Amino acid sequence: MTVDTTHPRSIPSADWVTIPDLYADPYPIYRHLRAESPIHWVPAVDRYLVIGYEACHTIELDQERFTADETNSLMKRSMGHSMLRKDDPEHDVERKAYGGVLRPKAIKQQWTRVFEQSFSTYLGRLREAGPGADLVTEFAAPFAAENLRVIMGFENATQEDLQRWSQTLIDGTGNYADDPDVWAAAERSSHEVDVAIDEMLPILRDRPNGSLLSALGASGMPLEPLRANFKMTIGGGLNEPRDAIATTAWALLSHPTQLASVVADGRWSDAFEESIRWVAPISMYPREATRDTELCGLHIPQGARLGIAIGAANRDPDVFVDAESYDIDRPRKPHLAFGGGNHFCAGAWVARASVVNVALPGLFRELPGLRLDPDRSARCGGWVFRGVTSLPVLWD
Amino acid sequence: MPKVIFHHDNGETDVVESPDGTSVMKVALQNAVAGIVGECGGQAMCATCHVYVRDGYLDRLPEISEDEEEMLECTAASRDETHSRLGCQVVLGPDLEEVEVDVPGSQI
Repeated sequence: MTVDTTHPRSIPSADWVTIPDLYADPYPIYRHLRAESPIHWVPAVDRYLVIGYEACHTIELDQERFTADETNSLMKRSMGHSMLRKDDPEHDVERKAYGGVLRPKAIKQQWTRVFEQSFSTYLGRLREAGPGADLVTEFAAPFAAENLRVIMGFENATQEDLQRWSQTLIDGTGNYADDPDVWAAAERSSHEVDVAIDEMLPILRDRPNGSLLSALGASGMPLEPLRANFKMTIGGGLNEPRDAIATTAWALLSHPTQLASVVADGRWSDAFEESIRWVAPISMYPREATRDTELCGLHIPQGARLGIAIGAANRDPDVFVDAESYDIDRPRKPHLAFGGGNHFCAGAWVARASVVNVALPGLFRELPGLRLDPDRSARCGGWVFRGVTSLPVLWD
Repeated sequence: MPKVIFHHDNGETDVVESPDGTSVMKVALQNAVAGIVGECGGQAMCATCHVYVRDGYLDRLPEISEDEEEMLECTAASRDETHSRLGCQVVLGPDLEEVEVDVPGSQI
C-alpha cells in the first residue's frame, strides 16, 4: 500500500491562515489552499492540515502510518485516554465493549421512545418560548442532551449537566491557548462525571437496564478507560446531533424548493446526509505520522501532527460536483462526516434515528410555516467543530 | 490464491486474487473495486459493503451473526433474504477458495 518514491515534494506552508478566520468561515480558506496542494503546514494551528478527500480517506484507513494515539494530546489531558486516541487492537477491545447499545436493534427496542419523549418535551419548550425563539438553545441542544443522558445511563444527572460537561470537556480538548480557566472548567466537569459514574455503577450492576454505563460496567473495562470513554462519548454524542439538527433546518429553510421536496416525499435522510457532508459537525480530528512517509506525492516527516480536515474533504470538487452548494439531489458519494475505518462514528445510527426519524420531521410537522427570522440571521461558527450556533425561527 | 469475482450492474466483472483471511470488503477496497464502500472498516456497523452472494457458494459461508443481521436490515439496496451478506463478514480461506458476488447498485 505504501509507495515510497524517491522524490516526494515538500509540503507548502500557509502562514497567512489564522484561527479566527478559520473559525468564522474555513471554506474560502480551504478553496484557496486546495488550488495549491492537498496538504499544508499551518503554523497558526501547529499542524499539517490535510484537506483533500483522497488524502483524508487514505489516512483514516491506515493506522500503521498514521496513529490516533497522538503525543501531547489535549484530548487526553481533558478527557483521559479514550479509544478515540488508541489504535487497534487496544481500540477494538474498548469499542467492542460498547456492544449493541448504540446499534439499530437497541435503538428500535429501547431508544426510539426516548427520542419521541424528548421531542415532545423540548417541542413544548420551544413553543413556550414562542416565535423568534432560538432553535438551537430551546430545542436542538436539550433534545440531544436528554437523549444522550438516558442512553448513557445518567439517572443522577440532568440534560443541563450533560450540556455543561460536554462543552467544557470539548473546550479543554481545543485549549491550544492553554487558558487556565478553560482547564479549570474541564477539570471540574471531569470530576463531576467521575462522581456521577461512581454513583451509578453499583446501582446499574444490581439493576441492568441496557444503558451504556450498564453495559460498560458489566464488560470488565477498567475504571480509568471507562471514565475516559464516557467523557469522549459525552463530548461526541451531544454537539453532533445538536449541530446536525440546526444545520439541516437552516439549510432547508434557506432552500425552499428542496424543503418542499423533502416534506412531500419524506426525504429527511437525504436532507440530513447532505447537511453533514456540507457542514460536517466534526470537521477536523488529529492523527500523527509514525514514520517518514509519503502521501499524494508529498513528504510527511515522522512525528508530524496532522489535522484531518474532513470538513474540507467533504467539499473536494474532485469528488463532489458543485461541492460548496447544499443539494439533496446531488449524485450520491460517500461523505466522511462520520469518519471511516475503525474509528467510524459509534453513534451514527443513534444520530440518524434521533435526527432523521424524529427531530426533523417532527419540527416541520408540528410548526406550520416554520421559517427563518428575517430580522435576526442565523450564526455559524467553528472549524474543528462546526455548526449553526444560533437559529432564530418564526412559525404561524 | 483464493479469489473473488465481482459482477457489476453494467455487466462488467472484476476477478481479484487475495490471500487467506481477507474479507470480500477488504479485497474490494485494496483493489479499488467499484461499488463497495466499507465505511466502518469491517465492524458490521455501516452496511456499505453489501453484496449478493451467488448460488453455489452460500452453504460455505458462516452463519449470519446478530450484528450482521441488523445491518442487513439497513442496506441502501434492498435485502435479498437468501443472497444478501455484508462483504466484511465473508472471509476467504480454506473453506472459501472462491466466491462470486453481485455488487448492488447503491451502498448509501
